[in-house]
Amino acid sequence: MSEKEREERMLVRKIEEGTVIDHIPDWKAETVAKVLRLDRLAKTQTGISVAILQNVNSKTLGRKDIVKIDKWHVDEKDADILSLVFPSITVNYVNEWKVSKYHPKVPDVIEGRIKCLEVLCITNAQREPVVPKFITLKRDRVLQCFYCDTMFDFDSVPDHVRT
Amino acid sequence: MGKDSDFLGRDILSIRDYKRDQLERLFHSVEDLEKSPNSLDGLLKGDLVALLFFEPSTRTYSSFQIAASTLGMQVTGFASPAGSSVSKGETLHDTIRMFEGYGTDCFVIRHPMPGAARYAAETTDKPIINAGDGSREHPTQAMIDLFAIRKAFGKLDGLKVGILGDLKYGRTASSLAYGLSNYDVEMTFIAPDALQMRPEVQHFLKQRGIISRSEKDLKNVVGELDVLYVTRIQKERIPDPTEFEKVKGMYQVNLETLKEAKPSLKVLHPLPRVDELATELDATNFADYFVQAATGLPLRMVLMSLVLGGGR
Repeated sequence: MSEKEREERMLVRKIEEGTVIDHIPDWKAETVAKVLRLDRLAKTQTGISVAILQNVNSKTLGRKDIVKIDKWHVDEKDADILSLVFPSITVNYVNEWKVSKYHPKVPDVIEGRIKCLEVLCITNAQREPVVPKFITLKRDRVLQCFYCDTMFDFDSVPDHVRT
Repeated sequence: MGKDSDFLGRDILSIRDYKRDQLERLFHSVEDLEKSPNSLDGLLKGDLVALLFFEPSTRTYSSFQIAASTLGMQVTGFASPAGSSVSKGETLHDTIRMFEGYGTDCFVIRHPMPGAARYAAETTDKPIINAGDGSREHPTQAMIDLFAIRKAFGKLDGLKVGILGDLKYGRTASSLAYGLSNYDVEMTFIAPDALQMRPEVQHFLKQRGIISRSEKDLKNVVGELDVLYVTRIQKERIPDPTEFEKVKGMYQVNLETLKEAKPSLKVLHPLPRVDELATELDATNFADYFVQAATGLPLRMVLMSLVLGGGR
């Protein structure tokens, strides 16, 4: 780690418990917050703080963003969804100051976390007890609704996260 | 007709779930029924079918109803949501569970929302026959359409098929394209850009190695076609009304439009038609749509007999 990187890292203190999402493309941290619904998390869970570092030095990316979530472990499934949009991200789980790395992987099937782009899809029907489900077509970087077959790009996932 | 494990107890949700050999077996059984029209009468006596039409229907509902009655089945359900509990806000899920409780052996469902058929299939273990789910699929119509083309030409391979009209929202158009992908057929999709085949249909065909092309104007291709499958351009679907005015003339099929067509061309239409298909064609050799429509009954009889395993 260079001196500059060390200085930037010091912009935000280390956390004892929580999650650090690293290698986010620069200026995309807010999209990460949106996909992870961090605003809702902060409203429903007490004691959670979020720090966003933007445009910091990165050996691999040139510039990058970092999101630190104090006292919250992001679900691996949510991290996997994030990797649809940002394949470069790494997730560091911090437990009692110890860090373990998680490399998110694009899942074959995504259930529940995203809504279908097709507004008329049965999964968007009010009161039907149906959970949205998508198949990932990795080579084409698209999701396909299991029910209505509608396809949309991985990149548009942040616009379809269920709130 | 024996029991066929490819159909027995299975849902009919999409024609993509059926391969060529399975479709061919279905078609042979329909031919057998056409030769001996009473051979399936009463075969499913004692079985109960629920026809749940969450979107109004006349011909599809009627043909399933007559097919089921001829097979000896008891028929329950509704032909439109008006007057049923659905109009009070009952969900698809609850409606299916309720009819299941009445001892329904098979469901035939039409619903305005895409994906409803697959969802319905998760709701019950009883077979679901998709009679149209929104703009997505209408598999039994596609089976009818394939059978009608096969009947007219004695084959499907080697034909050039044009599918014209509202290909984006028209479920019969996409189901036909899926079905034709089992055969060595050249497909041309004739529609304005705004109403061309949806990306998932194009993607499926590409995955299967099917070469298809898109055209805006019928006159550019009419002379090459063996089959012209006409669907209605739906004015309400085109965002810009002036765009509709510009394109509507290109999609009206009449004697003038077919001036350059091969004499052997067959015109099909899932019906009902509005003004996209001139009645002046009815008396010509082009017209195959009434033959096509008549196939609905025997094909749906055979399909239900295969799904419910009434083999003798």
